[in-house]
Amino acid sequence: MAIVCLGLNHRTASVDVRERFALPEGEVPMLLGRICGETSASEAVVLSTCNRVEIYAATDGAGGELLAELRELLLEGREIEEDVFYAHHGMQGVEHLFKVASGLDSMVLGETEILGQVKAAYQLALEEKRTGSKLNRAFQKAFNAAKLIRTSTNIQRGSVSVASVAVELAGKIFDDLSEHAVMVIGAGDTSEKTARALLSRGAKSVMVSNRSFERAEELAEELGGRAIHFDEWEDEFAGIDIIISSTSAPHYVIDRKKLEPMQGLRQHRPLLLVDIAVPRDIEPEVNFLEDVYLYNIDDLQSIADDYLRLRHEEVEKCEELIRGKSIELLETMKGPLPAREEDDLDETAEGGRAAQMSPS
Amino acid sequence: MTDKAYFCIAVTVYGIGMVYSLFLWRRGFQRDDWTAYSLLGSGFIFQTISIAIRAFKYDPPRCPVTNLYETLAFIIWAIVGGYLVMGLWQRLRFVGAFASPLLFVMGVFALIPGMDPDVLPGEARDYTGVLGNLHRTLGALALGAFGLSAVAAVMYLTQEHDLKLHKFRAILSKLPPLQRLETAMTRLLWIGFGLLTLGIAASAAYHFQSGKGTSLGEPMVVWILAMWVVYLVLIILHWRHTQSGRRIAWGALCSFLFMILTFWGALESHLNH
Repeated sequence: MAIVCLGLNHRTASVDVRERFALPEGEVPMLLGRICGETSASEAVVLSTCNRVEIYAATDGAGGELLAELRELLLEGREIEEDVFYAHHGMQGVEHLFKVASGLDSMVLGETEILGQVKAAYQLALEEKRTGSKLNRAFQKAFNAAKLIRTSTNIQRGSVSVASVAVELAGKIFDDLSEHAVMVIGAGDTSEKTARALLSRGAKSVMVSNRSFERAEELAEELGGRAIHFDEWEDEFAGIDIIISSTSAPHYVIDRKKLEPMQGLRQHRPLLLVDIAVPRDIEPEVNFLEDVYLYNIDDLQSIADDYLRLRHEEVEKCEELIRGKSIELLETMKGPLPAREEDDLDETAEGGRAAQMSPS
Repeated sequence: MTDKAYFCIAVTVYGIGMVYSLFLWRRGFQRDDWTAYSLLGSGFIFQTISIAIRAFKYDPPRCPVTNLYETLAFIIWAIVGGYLVMGLWQRLRFVGAFASPLLFVMGVFALIPGMDPDVLPGEARDYTGVLGNLHRTLGALALGAFGLSAVAAVMYLTQEHDLKLHKFRAILSKLPPLQRLETAMTRLLWIGFGLLTLGIAASAAYHFQSGKGTSLGEPMVVWILAMWVVYLVLIILHWRHTQSGRRIAWGALCSFLFMILTFWGALESHLNH
């Protein structure tokens, strides 16, 4: 009896190779059927996301043989210049599954979206009746391990993108984002992402100001906000609490001299300034003004890096937990499936259905 | 066990809370747990027993705010009681970690020999009856509210400083957002001010009812009125948005420190008047 995993991911294959192997959801049932019908696998789950394609399979035969069969099946009709696959079986295969479900193998360490994707892949295989006692137990344990890691370590703590760090900062200053308006000055890509992230966290409204008014209108429409002319943004200043600036101006758009008198209109409400532009749009001196909190791109990136470092420090702890859970699983696999696990599997199936319906 | 023994236990528990709060501080207030809350909660129980025993020692039973020891004990009790309510909100639970050093220091101060004389001093024998007890209770509760407001102010200043200097711990900690701290701080100022005003009114009514006059030149009267004016100014400044949250926080903190540092002298001169 063996559980094997054959796959490729963002570390082993470039995006153009991953594209060739990516499977639309509709094709997965057919592949599952072929795996169980044409190879020595008795059970299979196929996980296909933008960063990975993986086949988890169980066999009563030899793991090595099954891995060779799966490789052949995946390569059918596809050409690759070099070997991009990784292959694991036994304890290694189980540990890999647990790491994937916990986000330890993700491009952004500790991200949570992958758990929903693993649940959905398992759910699909369950509905296609391609799973049995081995993979059921393995995936059940993987979900338990992911939950344990989420609750007992800091692997998923904090924001690791500039946009989400800005949102977190806003949450440290403002009590309720739904009472605060956002202004985007300069319609760049990161400022758009940041504004979007703030809106998704409930920011009251957004205004977009750009040198090109057409572009401002375009972005404002996308964000569900209002466009204003570039020379008019100062008129709206009194009602704004968060400014995201990312113009390509070679000089400061906001400086202390300009901001100081405007602050008087705000009745000492805090103001968060997020300067994503290079060269900077906002004079650093404004941070000395009362109630003004200025963060530039380096500050935000440094916070994101600190979070990432914090997550990396947790990897060893996570791997230890995973090792323990893997040993537990392999030991239970030696005996019959306990009744309680049968119940748990039903719950997991429900969870999988929910994950499939969720946006992640 | 005597009321003093129960109070000693409560102060010891607050001391343990202070040590734990130093640990939380070092860890950057990352873990939200109930340890600090539970410690202060258990201290509160011991202190409630202590105050109850003390109240029933008097004949007739009265609110035990007759000397410096009792007054400080009652203020501590009011601060912890207020915190236990605030701490029900997850984000405000860390107030306990900031409050426990203050509670411990005040508790140790209250236990200094001589703070609790056996013989009831002059004026303390006077404030009896409903209005007298109401005056003492409201006054001590007001000081408790101002104390809690000062604790919220320290939290505000810590968080504001870290955010201004882009410290990672500002974002990593689980302290409440600045605006919520400002709201908590100013609401406590309002509550304290309201209680103090009612306490002054109760005192005036007591003097009117008992026919005893009071002089505006008495140190305690001057002290209370000065405090009332200071807090009134703070509230007006905040209400009219003429000062930043940071300045209001400094105001709340300095006013409370001034009040607690001068309270001893004012109360002693009042009791021995």
